[in-house]
Amino acid sequence: MRRTAVVAGIAAALGATALAAVLAPAGTPPTTAPAVAAAAPADPIARAQERVRLVPGDWRAWAVLAVAYVERGRATGDPTNYPRADEAVRRSLAVRPTGNGEVLVAQGALANARHEFAAARRFALEATKLNGYDADAYAVLADAETQLGNVAAATAAVQRQLDLRPGLSAYARASYDLELRGKVTEAADLMRQALEAAVSPADIGFCRVQLGDLAWHAGDLAEATRQYDTGLAADPGSIALRRGKARADWAAGRREAALAGYADITRRAPTPSYVLEYAELLRAAGQDAEADAQLELAVAGHRLFTAAGGVDGLTGTALALAAGDPVTALKEARAEWSRRTHADVADNLAWALHHAGRDAEALRYARAAVDSGAKSAAYVYHLGVIELGLGRTGAAEADLAAALRLNPYFSPTDAPLARTLLAGPEVTR
Amino acid sequence: MKRRWLLALAAAPLAFLLLPAAPASAHPLGNFSVNQYTGLTLHPDRIDATAVVDFAEIPTLQQKAEPSCADLALSVAVGGKPLQWTLTSSDFALVDGSGGLKTSRLTCALTAPVRLETATVTVENTYAPDRIGWREMTARGEGVRVESSLPAESISDELRTYPADPLSSAPDVRSATLRVTPGDGTAGAALSRPSDGFLAGITAGVERRFQDLAGGRLTPTVGLLAVLLALLLGAGHAALPGHGKTVLAAYAAAQRRRIRDALAVGATVTLTHTGGVLVVGLLLATSSTLAGDRVLSYLGIVSGAIVIAVGVGMFVRRRKGHSHDHDHSHGHDHAHDHDHGHGHHHHHHHRGDGRLGLAGIGIAGGLVPSPSAIVVLLAAIGLGRTAFGVVLVLAYGVGMAATLTAVGLALVAAQRRLGRLPKLPAAAQRLSKLAPAGTATLVMVVGAGVAARAAAGVF
Repeated sequence: MRRTAVVAGIAAALGATALAAVLAPAGTPPTTAPAVAAAAPADPIARAQERVRLVPGDWRAWAVLAVAYVERGRATGDPTNYPRADEAVRRSLAVRPTGNGEVLVAQGALANARHEFAAARRFALEATKLNGYDADAYAVLADAETQLGNVAAATAAVQRQLDLRPGLSAYARASYDLELRGKVTEAADLMRQALEAAVSPADIGFCRVQLGDLAWHAGDLAEATRQYDTGLAADPGSIALRRGKARADWAAGRREAALAGYADITRRAPTPSYVLEYAELLRAAGQDAEADAQLELAVAGHRLFTAAGGVDGLTGTALALAAGDPVTALKEARAEWSRRTHADVADNLAWALHHAGRDAEALRYARAAVDSGAKSAAYVYHLGVIELGLGRTGAAEADLAAALRLNPYFSPTDAPLARTLLAGPEVTR
Repeated sequence: MKRRWLLALAAAPLAFLLLPAAPASAHPLGNFSVNQYTGLTLHPDRIDATAVVDFAEIPTLQQKAEPSCADLALSVAVGGKPLQWTLTSSDFALVDGSGGLKTSRLTCALTAPVRLETATVTVENTYAPDRIGWREMTARGEGVRVESSLPAESISDELRTYPADPLSSAPDVRSATLRVTPGDGTAGAALSRPSDGFLAGITAGVERRFQDLAGGRLTPTVGLLAVLLALLLGAGHAALPGHGKTVLAAYAAAQRRRIRDALAVGATVTLTHTGGVLVVGLLLATSSTLAGDRVLSYLGIVSGAIVIAVGVGMFVRRRKGHSHDHDHSHGHDHAHDHDHGHGHHHHHHHRGDGRLGLAGIGIAGGLVPSPSAIVVLLAAIGLGRTAFGVVLVLAYGVGMAATLTAVGLALVAAQRRLGRLPKLPAAAQRLSKLAPAGTATLVMVVGAGVAARAAAGVF
C-alpha cells in the first residue's frame, strides 16, 4: 500500500510537470460533450455534484457537497438548503459510517447553521479526535464554542485553526473572537490581514462587511460607509453589504435610500431578522401600516424556519417583543439561555425580563452581557434602561450616555429614546 | 378506472417510503423562491409561449397586489426584431403551502405571429431577476426545426414536481438563442451522442457493473471478478471502433513481422496506459480545478502527434533505404534475422528506427487513458482503496494490450504465410514494394485524424 503510494506519487510528480505545461492555457471552456468531467464549474455545489455523479462512492465529495449547501444556506438565508445538506451527509455516511472525519465536519457545520450549537460542538470534537490536524474541524468547533458562550474554549479552537491553516477563515474567526473580548483595534487589524488574503469577490465582500460592522459598532459612520461602498464595488450582490449600507444611510439621514435599500434586501433575502429590521425602520419613519405588514412577514418566516426544525430563540424573542407579547418573549429568551450563554443571549434575556417587568432579575443578565467585554452600545443601553427601572438613576445616566458614546446610531428607535431618557425627568430627577 | 385505483393503492406504501424525513413539507425550492418556467413552441407562422411563475410562501405573502401576466418580462426577438406578445389566457391561483401559509401560481399563455423559416430567435426572461429560484426554459418546433441548448421537455413538469435530489441544482436559464430552419422537430440539449453501436452498448453495461464492483464490499471472489472484468473491459475497449490505434499497432508490428514486436507493442500500451490513467486519475483526485475532458483532449493531441512522427519516420526511412529494404525484407523470411551479417551497419540503424517507431505506436496507443478506467480509479481512491484501483487499472491495460497484441500476431501470421508463398506475380510484387510507403502515409493520415479529433475538443 505504502509502496503503491510512493510509486504513484513519483508518477504523479513526473506527470504533473509535463501536464502543467500542457494545461497552462486552460482558459476557454470546452464546447463538446464532457468525456470524464466538464470544465470545473465555479459554483462549489455544482463542482461537488459533478464529482459525486462521477464517483458516487466518494464520501469526501458528499461531505464537501453538504458543506457547500450549508454555505449557500448561510449566504442566502434560505433554510431549505439544509435538508439537501442532510441528504448529502446521509449519503456520505452510507459509504463510510465510521472514521469519516469529513462528514463530521459537515454535520457540525450544518448543526451550527441550524443553531444546534451543542450538537455542532460534539461533531467537531469527534472530528478533531479523528484528525487533530483538521483545520476545518477547529473552525466548526470555534463557531460552536463561541455561540455557546465558552469563551476560553472558543479562543483555543480559533488559535488551533490559526496555527494549522492561517487564512481568511481563521483570520475572520480570530477577529470575531477579539471583538467579543473588546479588542476592537486588534480585531480590525486582523480583518485587514484577512482582506489581503481574500481573492474572490465574495471573500472580499465578506471582509468588508466585517470591517464595516466593526467601524459601525464603534460609531464611526464615515469609515463604515466607506467599507460597505468599497465592498459593494467588489461584490455588488452581497446582501450583508447592502444591509450595512442601508443601515448607515438611515444613520446619516438618508432615510429614503435606507428604506429603498431595505425593500431591496427583503426582496432578495426575506429572512426574519432582515424583515424585522425593515419593520423597525418603517416604524421609525412613521409608516406603521407597512411596518405591521413586514412584522407579519417576519413572523411567518420564523414560523416556517421553526417548522423546518430550526431553532432561533433570539429572533423568536425579538418578534414576540415587537408584537407586544412579553410572556412569549420571556419564554423564548429563557429557552435560548438554557441552550447557550453567549453575551447576545444574556442581553436578550435581560431585555425580555425587563419587558416582563422583572428588572431586578434582568440586571444580572444585563451586567453579564456588558461584562463579557464586547463593546456593544445595545448591551449598555439595555443595562441603563434596566437600572433606570430599578431607580438607580446615577448608574442609568452614565450607561445611557456611554451607549450613545459607543455608537450614537446603534438603533433607529432606541438611540433617539436614549437621548430622550437622558434629557427627561426620569434621569434628571 | 378501477384498475388505476388498485395501482394507486399499491403505490401508496412505496410513496410513503420515498417521502423525505424532513418534518414539514416546505417548498422544495425554498420559502423565499420565485420559480419560473418558460416553454416556447415555434410554428411556421407564430411563436407560442407558456409562462408559469410559482411563488413560494414568503414571496406570496410579500405580494402587494395579485401578480398578473402583464408583469411578465419575457422578450423574444426574431432576427433582432422584437415581437409583441398577445395574451391568450391567464390564471392565478393560491395553493396551500407549509406553516399554514399559501403559495401561488401564475400561468400565462402567450402568442406572437411571425413568419419563421430560417431565422435566429433570441429569448430573454427578466422577470424578478433578483429573486432566488428555479429558472427553466424549453423550446420545441412544430412545423419548423429548432436547434438550441434548451431541452424540449420540462424537467419539473412545468414547476409541479421539482427533483429533490441533492444532485440536481436548480436551473438558472435566463436567456437563449434558437436557430430555426425548415423541417420539423427539435435538436435540443436532450439530443444524445450518436450511438457507437451494439458493442458499445454492451461495454457500457459492463462498465456500470464494474464500477459497482469497485465500490461494493470487497471479498476475494468479488476482487477476482473485478480483475477479470477489468481484463475483459480493456480488451473490449481496444476493439471498439474509433480506436485507430489497434490498426496502427498492428501495422507497426506487422511491418517487422516478428512475434516479439507484437508483444513489445502490447507491453508498451499496457505500461503507458496504466501510467497515464494513474497520473491523470491522481491529478483529478487531488485537484478539483482540472477538467478531465480537457486533459484527455491534450493527451489525444500528443498521441496524434506521436503517430504522425512515427509515420514520417517510416516514410523517410523508406526513402533513404529503398535499395536496402528489399534485401532486408528478404532476410526476414527467417525468424532469426538479426544473425545476418550483410549490410551490417545500415541494418542496425534501420532496426533502431523501427524500435523507436514501435515504442512510439505503443505509447500513442496507451497515452490517452480511457475514461472508464479513470472513473474506476477515482472510485477506488474515493473509497480509500487506491491499491485495488491500481490493480484494476493494470488489468485494464493488460486487457487492452491483449487485443492489440492478438491483432498484431494475427497479421504477423498472415503476412508470414503470404511471404512463404512460392512466387508472387509481378504485379503483386510491385505492390508489396510500394506498400511500405502507403503504410507510412496511412499512419500519418490516421495520426492527423487522432490529433484533429482531440483538438476539436479543446479549441
